[in-house]
Amino acid sequence: MTGAIAGYLPLFDLYLIHLGLAFSQYIVLRAGVFSLATAALAGIGAYTAGIFAVNLGMHPILGLVAGTLTGMGAAVVLSIPLARLRGVYQAIATVAFIQIVLSLNIYSESLTGGAMGLNNIPKTVGTVTLLVFAAGATYLIWALERGRIGRAFDAIRQDEAVAASLGISITRHQTLAFALSGALAGLFGGLEAYHAYALDPNQFGFHLLITVLSYVILGGRNSVAGPLLGTALLIILPELARPLAENRMIIYGIMLIVVINYLPKGVADTFLDWWRARRLGRQGGAP
Amino acid sequence: MTTLRLTDLEKRFGGVVASEDVNMTVPAGRITGLIGPNGAGKTTIVNMITGMLPVTGGTIHVGDTDITHAPAHEICRAGLARTFQNIRLLGETSVIDNVLIGFHRHKSSSLLSALLGLPAAGRETRALRDRAMALLDRFDLARFADYPAGGLSYGHQRKVEMARAMAAAPDFILLDEPIAGMNDVESEGLAQIFRGFAEDGKGVLLIEHNVRFVARLCSHIYVLDGGRLISEGTPDHVLNDPGVIAAYLGDAHA
Repeated sequence: MTGAIAGYLPLFDLYLIHLGLAFSQYIVLRAGVFSLATAALAGIGAYTAGIFAVNLGMHPILGLVAGTLTGMGAAVVLSIPLARLRGVYQAIATVAFIQIVLSLNIYSESLTGGAMGLNNIPKTVGTVTLLVFAAGATYLIWALERGRIGRAFDAIRQDEAVAASLGISITRHQTLAFALSGALAGLFGGLEAYHAYALDPNQFGFHLLITVLSYVILGGRNSVAGPLLGTALLIILPELARPLAENRMIIYGIMLIVVINYLPKGVADTFLDWWRARRLGRQGGAP
Repeated sequence: MTTLRLTDLEKRFGGVVASEDVNMTVPAGRITGLIGPNGAGKTTIVNMITGMLPVTGGTIHVGDTDITHAPAHEICRAGLARTFQNIRLLGETSVIDNVLIGFHRHKSSSLLSALLGLPAAGRETRALRDRAMALLDRFDLARFADYPAGGLSYGHQRKVEMARAMAAAPDFILLDEPIAGMNDVESEGLAQIFRGFAEDGKGVLLIEHNVRFVARLCSHIYVLDGGRLISEGTPDHVLNDPGVIAAYLGDAHA
C-alpha cells in the first residue's frame, strides 16, 4: 500500500510545482493581460536559484528568495512595453520574450552551462516543502480574488473603459498582476531547481508554455479552483492512459480542443456556474 | 458652489473639427441638459470630460481641479461618474459585485492586507457589501443581487449602472442617453431617480436627443450642432429658438 503511494509521489511533486506555475499564468489572465511569459519567468527563477546554489554555494532559502525576486523583477520590466499592447499582440510579445530568455540562457555558457544545462544542484526540496509553498500560493490567490484587487482585476478584464471610469488604474493593477505572476513563476522555478538535481534550458520553452496555459484553460480562468483542477486533470489523465503517456502532447491537444468547444469556461468554472444557477433557481423568482 | 466647467473646449481629429468653442457650466444640485441631433458631437464632449478622448484645446474643471488632461481613472477620483450610452455592465459578474466595483475609489484597507486577505480587507468587503445592498434597495434591485448582471432586462441593467455610478459617490454624474430604448414607464422611473440625484446636491449632466424628456427635467439646456453650441437657456427659450428648430427639423420649418 505505502509502496503504491510512494510510486505516485513524483507525480504529486510535479503537480505541486506546476500548480504554482499555473497560478502564475492564471493571475495575469485574470487581470486581462494575455501574457504567456510564465515559462520564461520560471526559467529565470530556476536558473537564478540553481546558480546561487551551484556557483555561489548559497543556502537554498537565499536561492529561493533570489529566484522569486528576479522572476518578479523581470516581469515588472516586461510589463512596461506590454502595457502599450493588447490581446494577441501581448501573446506574441511574450512568446518572443520566451525565445530571448532561452537564447540568452544557451549563449551564456559560463554562467548557465549553456545547452548542457546546469547540473549537480543539491536536492534540498521535498514533497513537504512543495506542499507548504503550493498551499501558500493557493491561499494568496484565494485571498486576492475575494477582495478589492480581485474585483478590480475582474472589471479590467471585462471592460477597461468601465474600470477606468470607476477610478481603477489599469496600468497599476496590470503591473501588480505581472509582479505576482513573475514572483510565483520565479519561486516555483526555484523549487523545481532544488527538486530536480539538474536544469535544461529547453525545459522552459514552448512546451512548458503550452502545458501551463492548458492547465488554466482546461480548469477555468475565473476561480482559484480552475488551476487546482486543471493541473490535476492534465497530470493524472495521461498517467492513467499509460500506453499513451509518451504522447502526452497529443492528449493535451485533444482535450483542449474538446474543452474549448464544449466547456469554454473550463471544467471548474462551468461546474461553479451551474452550482450558482441551481442555488438561485431554488430561491425562486428568476429575473 | 462647485461646478463642472468647460471653457473653450475643442476637439480636432486631424483637420476635422468635432467640437469648437464649447463653454458650459453644470452646477451642483441641478439637472443640466445637453441636446443636439445625431452626430452633433454630444458623445465627443462626454468622452473628453471623462478622459476617454484627449482634449485638443480649452479646459475642463471640477470645482478648482483642472481635469483637462487627467487620465480617466483620476477623473473619477475628482468626483465625476458616468453611465454609458450602450449599457456597459460586467455581464459575467453578479449584480451586487457590479455595484461593489463602484466603491473602488473609497478603499480603506492597505494593498498588503488586500493581497494577504488580512482581517482589515475582510471587514472592508463586508462593510461595502452592506452599502451596496442599501444602494440596490434604493433602486429596487435588491432581489437580483446574486444574479449575473448580463441576464437582467434592459431597464434593470440601466438601473444597475446608475447604482454603480452612485457607489463612487460622485459630485457630478454624466448620463449619456440614459433613456434610449426605454418605454414611457421605465423612463418616468428613471426621471424620478435623476431628480433624486439633484435633490441630493449632485450636479447632473443629461445628454439626450429626446427633447421632450430633457425639457421636462432640466432647468438649463445647451444645444449642440456641428460641434458648436447653437443655443442655451431655459427649456422654453431653447425650444422656441429658430436655430434649434432648424437644426432638428431642417431649414424649411424654421
